[in-house]
Amino acid sequence: MNVEHVLTTCPYCGTGCNFFLQVVDDRLIGVVPCKTDEISRGQLCIKGYNAHAFVQHPDRLKTPLVREHGELKQTSWEAALDLLAGEIKRIKEKYGPDSIAFLASAKCTNEENYLFQKLARAAVQTNNVDHCARLCHASTVTGLLYSFGSGAMTNTIPEFENADCIFVTGSNTLEAHPIIGARMLKALDRGAKIIVIDPRDTPLSRLAHIKLSQRPGSDIAWINGMIKVIIDEGLVDQDFVKTRTTDFDKLKDVVKDATPEKVESITGIKPAELAEVARVYAKADRAMIAYAMGVTQHSNGTNIVEALANLAMVTGHIGSESNGLNPLRGQCNVQGSCDSGGLPNLFPGYQRVDDEKARAKFEQAWDVKLPAKPGLTLTCAIKEAAVGKLKAMVIFGENIMMSDPDLGHVEDAIKELELLAVIDIFPTETSKFAHIVLPAACYAEKDGTFTNTDRAVRLIRKAVNPPGDAWPDWKIACELGKRLGAKGFDFSSPAEVMAEMATVTPIYGGIDHDRLDREVLRWPCPSKDHKGTRILHTQKFTKGLGTFAPVDHAPPAETPSDEYPFILTTGRNLFQYHTGTMTRRSSKLEREAPEPYVEMNKGDAKRLGISEGDRVSVSSRRGTINLKARVTERIIPGSIFIPFHYAEAAANRLTNAALDPESKIPEFKVCAADVQKG
Amino acid sequence: MREEHGNVAPVMIAKGEDPGDVRTDVPYQLMTILSNLYPWMSDGKKIAVLTRRCDEKALAEIFKRGYFDRARIVQIGLACSKEQIAACRCSDPVPSTVDIGEPHAGVGSDALSEKLMNMSSEERLRFWIYQFRKCNKCFACTANCPVCFCDECVLEERTFVPERGVPPGMSFHLIRAYHLADKCIECGECERSCPAGIPLLTFRKLVAKDFRDMYKFSPGDDKNVSPLLTTLEGEALEGDECNEC
Ligand code: SF4
Ligand code: SF4
Repeated sequence: MNVEHVLTTCPYCGTGCNFFLQVVDDRLIGVVPCKTDEISRGQLCIKGYNAHAFVQHPDRLKTPLVREHGELKQTSWEAALDLLAGEIKRIKEKYGPDSIAFLASAKCTNEENYLFQKLARAAVQTNNVDHCARLCHASTVTGLLYSFGSGAMTNTIPEFENADCIFVTGSNTLEAHPIIGARMLKALDRGAKIIVIDPRDTPLSRLAHIKLSQRPGSDIAWINGMIKVIIDEGLVDQDFVKTRTTDFDKLKDVVKDATPEKVESITGIKPAELAEVARVYAKADRAMIAYAMGVTQHSNGTNIVEALANLAMVTGHIGSESNGLNPLRGQCNVQGSCDSGGLPNLFPGYQRVDDEKARAKFEQAWDVKLPAKPGLTLTCAIKEAAVGKLKAMVIFGENIMMSDPDLGHVEDAIKELELLAVIDIFPTETSKFAHIVLPAACYAEKDGTFTNTDRAVRLIRKAVNPPGDAWPDWKIACELGKRLGAKGFDFSSPAEVMAEMATVTPIYGGIDHDRLDREVLRWPCPSKDHKGTRILHTQKFTKGLGTFAPVDHAPPAETPSDEYPFILTTGRNLFQYHTGTMTRRSSKLEREAPEPYVEMNKGDAKRLGISEGDRVSVSSRRGTINLKARVTERIIPGSIFIPFHYAEAAANRLTNAALDPESKIPEFKVCAADVQKG
Repeated sequence: MREEHGNVAPVMIAKGEDPGDVRTDVPYQLMTILSNLYPWMSDGKKIAVLTRRCDEKALAEIFKRGYFDRARIVQIGLACSKEQIAACRCSDPVPSTVDIGEPHAGVGSDALSEKLMNMSSEERLRFWIYQFRKCNKCFACTANCPVCFCDECVLEERTFVPERGVPPGMSFHLIRAYHLADKCIECGECERSCPAGIPLLTFRKLVAKDFRDMYKFSPGDDKNVSPLLTTLEGEALEGDECNEC
């Protein structure tokens, strides 16, 4: 009998906790926290403790499947891969390389995402490669690239513990990033001030010193209002602004109009309360902002992110220990899948595809001519598919038929495709429509790295064998690359892929699996003797001077009307994860949150004659779903909340696919909706 | 435990295998880890396990309920370091046989318990309400507990702990304390693994004190039967507990 404890990285949120998988003779029996791990310190959330539960579930995909006469039939890897490569070649010849799009995955490793984008760029000659970062923090990447030159957390997770002021907006940290929330609680116990600005009550907001509720879609107004107070009361960090930033005058110009009365009329926040928040934040010694999808998932998400960057820069709360602006990334490897180039306009390491020098470097490294035109984003790819311009999608580990906005439209679009190939660990709502379905190994069945939200590159280690005939995605990508006749897909391990990625990705230049096996490295880590970087922008910003963006309030794409009087926002709960593919197959998690629900305010519910537990139908201009009402005081009147985990009442049937013009992120957080009893 | 991958990991090795860089200074709850593994270890072979005083007590509770076959377990006594004893506020740190380490005396007091006992009951209640409001329902305090045995956990039963709710409410913690009243051996693993930083060991120490005062009983000795497991006539109950509730 063989008993092993295999150290690996959690496959759920971007905190990146490490733990041991307990294995007895290739059977996964449990999870043991790792006490010496710098990030998790032997603590996990309920999802981490149950991260073994879905792995050996009977529903796992075990053999390649190909659609014949409308039905998915089992076949061999040879046959399935030959068919896939043949179809890609046919479509490329007939309609050109840009008629094909690849979706990389925030659930796959850096090495795999590197291969996925290489597949699109080097083997098919298209930059059409994107992934679900488009749906969560695309606006962070564009916004912070503009403001600072780097779109990632400026500090590390442990630093939250030592902050004097933690300012949280648009993040339900205790439920969505519980072990980061744990650090915030440590700070709270120490006496730090916690400020939460959110339209919903969250477990953290209930413990906060100051909790303010803004109207959904009004963020820039209150942020500019805060900056005005800071300027008017002389709380600006003059030194910092003078030596480290540019365009302060432009900012001053826009915030001039953010008078308390105006801000109150847009946001619903009382002037005195907002001023108090501004003072507490500005005067703190060490202040950290944390934000997540409540900020980014708006049709002006990029601007909201830039507004927060302005706030951090005026007060000088950036670039030092426990001072910074921190986007909390959602998926285990969403930071890494962006780092490894799973984006239509960027090569690995945020090098632009339309920059001739960068392109020349990759052309030389890969020995192939590369396309210069940035590719389609995920959200645009679906629009193009709907009008018949995009003909093929190859999807690695994403479930767009649950995760994308306006699912009715997504469904119409993917039905138009000549080729839909899905590579995943379970059958999903998306694979139902696929022509080819390939079974993949999950995190516990392969080696590789995830990069967590604080830029730490963390190993995942193979603990058990994949079920049936499933292969790790990196092997699938290599075999497909070879069949497409491309060079540079002869890898025999993920460590080799990382070695190549490091040579073309300066921020990963010093990273290799051997080092990662012994130490925690955070990028930028440019050389083998570099210890990695904990805090960004310490001496200067990545781009040189930080840039103030003069952004102003704009209303959301959809506002409530007589017909759709509510504002619907969507999000997660603690126990389920995203489209539920994994958590809904984990009995302890499913038991805690088995059913879809809509949260609504008590007053609203009473007016409509709805009580706790009633069945209601919620509709928007795009669709209707039926689910249970959960009546609460924890959401402001006029707003409703639905978690997006449940296929039987998919919140994204309702959401609006209106896009932020710069980052193309959809407006998941605001759409007009109606609620009816029954 | 041994050093691997820049961390310290719990390990199980076969006879004759090289143990590698052994470490004894990281307080993994080895009895919990072994309890997870035990049902799968059906080969009947002997299992040697590093045993601190608290582990020894946990084993006693486990043996008493027949979860491990006593004949299969070989204990290797480990005396905890001064630092560990202080961190655990442990009053009883020396195992019956010391094979590794130097025995050190325990600490008699728990500063927080004393502070709390000097508060008014309203203040004390406020303190605990604040603490429990931080709870994130991770179930670490039960998952890592060496003496949480029930197959069907009452905390997962909907009558007392509604689904979803975060934080889960006072009843969650009171039920847990009550269920462990006659079993908890104060290893402190719940407190160490609680991400909310709730002083669960102190909570326990206060419950244990009442239990000692009222029933003159402390868990951790396999000859003593818990007063909660006796009939009204004072005789020991047969069989497992918790099958009903
Ligand atoms: S906090 Fe995130 S990374 Fe840590 S255990 Fe929970 S889901 Fe996993
Ligand atoms: S370990 Fe702490 S946070 Fe987790 S359930 Fe127990 S008391 Fe709550």
